Amino acid sequence: MSQPVVPAWAAAEPASPAAPPVAVPALQLDHVSRWYGNVVAINDVSFALGAGVTGLLGPNGAGKSTLLHMMAGLLQPSAGQVLIRGRSAWRQPEIYRDIGLVPEKEVVHPYLSGYGFALLNAQLQGVPDPPAAAARAIETVDLADAAHRPTGTYSKGMRQRAKIAGALVHEPSILLLDEPFNGMDPRQRLHMMDLLRSMAADGRTILFSSHILEEVERLADSILVVHAGRLAAAGDYRSIRRLMTDRPHTFTIRSSDDRRLAATLIADPAVFGADLTGGRLSVSTNDYAAFTRALPRLAAATGITLHEVAPTNDSLESVFSYLVRR
Amino acid sequence: MSAFRPLVGVTLRSLLGRRRLLLMVLLVALPVALALLVRLGGGRPDASGILDNLVVRIVLPLVAVVLGTAAVGSEIDDGTIVYLLVKPIARRWIVLAMAFVSAGLTIALVVPAVVLTGLLTSGLGSTSVNTALAFAAACALGGIAYSTAFLALSTVTSRALVIGLAYTLIWEGVIAGLLEGTRFLSIRQATLGIAAALGGKRPGLQPLEPTISVVIVVVVTLGALAIATRQLSRFEVRGGD
Repeated sequence: MSQPVVPAWAAAEPASPAAPPVAVPALQLDHVSRWYGNVVAINDVSFALGAGVTGLLGPNGAGKSTLLHMMAGLLQPSAGQVLIRGRSAWRQPEIYRDIGLVPEKEVVHPYLSGYGFALLNAQLQGVPDPPAAAARAIETVDLADAAHRPTGTYSKGMRQRAKIAGALVHEPSILLLDEPFNGMDPRQRLHMMDLLRSMAADGRTILFSSHILEEVERLADSILVVHAGRLAAAGDYRSIRRLMTDRPHTFTIRSSDDRRLAATLIADPAVFGADLTGGRLSVSTNDYAAFTRALPRLAAATGITLHEVAPTNDSLESVFSYLVRR
Repeated sequence: MSAFRPLVGVTLRSLLGRRRLLLMVLLVALPVALALLVRLGGGRPDASGILDNLVVRIVLPLVAVVLGTAAVGSEIDDGTIVYLLVKPIARRWIVLAMAFVSAGLTIALVVPAVVLTGLLTSGLGSTSVNTALAFAAACALGGIAYSTAFLALSTVTSRALVIGLAYTLIWEGVIAGLLEGTRFLSIRQATLGIAAALGGKRPGLQPLEPTISVVIVVVVTLGALAIATRQLSRFEVRGGD
């Protein structure tokens, strides 16, 4: 059996009061699969995480929540193992001293106030001074004004922040967040991103899931891309982003003379294919930037008018599919 | 165990929702109201018939099935159980706290109704008081067995309320009364056995032996606690992508 992928950014952990001085990764998945009957939800996923913010990116239904639930010990892997600081995550309540979980479901006990919910979490975590820990967490998520209102009266964004307060009361060294920015307004979103960044700077391991590329781009140092239950890519954000940009692209073009434009474009080194079937010109390139610079220049030089240029496979879904195939 | 109190507190608040509480109070008020009518009509010498038919057969299991299945079941249904499970707490404490609250509330609601019903029906004579207290003690023990059994059921299936009602109405209400051997699988029969042993024997009925009755209550309660703990230890979240 091969070893799990351990990206460079997972190997070293800065010394910090939040992270115990151990050599093992904070969080490790070793050939983990999960299936429900005949349906494979997660397929042979391996990776390891250290300190820092990692984005778990993938379209809806990709398996992000299933992965997070397995990491939080709320789902048993069908194969492989999930380790939290070297200990199995499944049926080990002691791991929750290290973990804070913000689940995707927005429901919180509706009869508790935000402070009451944080206090309950602090008491159940057994922290030395639960009221102080709860007040601190409420302050941290900027919920002090509504702290004593029942969460049943909260907006979606406020409930989201109450959930995060509940997960922070014991100052966990690993924080797992499932779509944490759902329902937050832009100001709250920025505040939360700052908070997560500062926690990561303290040496904590932060993993958050999202299906929105921009959220991951703004916050994560590194990303895990999941598609159809498989780990499509893992590592430094910029290198994955480059892979996404430099993949083969296909454009559909409508011009004043498609045939002549095809002949001109096929001579350009950035283009590796041109197709005129069905009365439409499709052009394939493996250098997105060079092609988008060359196209208007070549069209102008040959006196051809461009009516329409449209990328045909630019959805996030197609990007993920490409990453899985490569 | 420092987590026990907050677990009791959150379960209590969850179970004491306004509508559920009102429904439970109306339910336990039913035999009391009937006993009041009997009293206005001159009363009856023996309250055991009313206590068996109304309280032990209907009110006690209904209160227990609603509270027992809701204690864990409502947390599982709305997903809030996750916040209790992702804590460094042995699952048995979560089960014990929830069972403590559901059994405690069942007793708190049913036992006063039993005493009031008994005394209103047959007055304040020593036999009447003895019968009422015998049924009260039996209902307290039966309430513990019922509520923990239904709590365990809610960790096994999401249809615990329906199955609990079917057990109460069909198994205990019909089958366990007709077939001799099935009485050993009936909490109601065990409750009546304990009541009879304490002086609340209903004329014309042959109750279970007191030892057997107590064994049934203890086995059901401990078995239910063990099943619920095992189920929560292996609990897996539903849904998500």
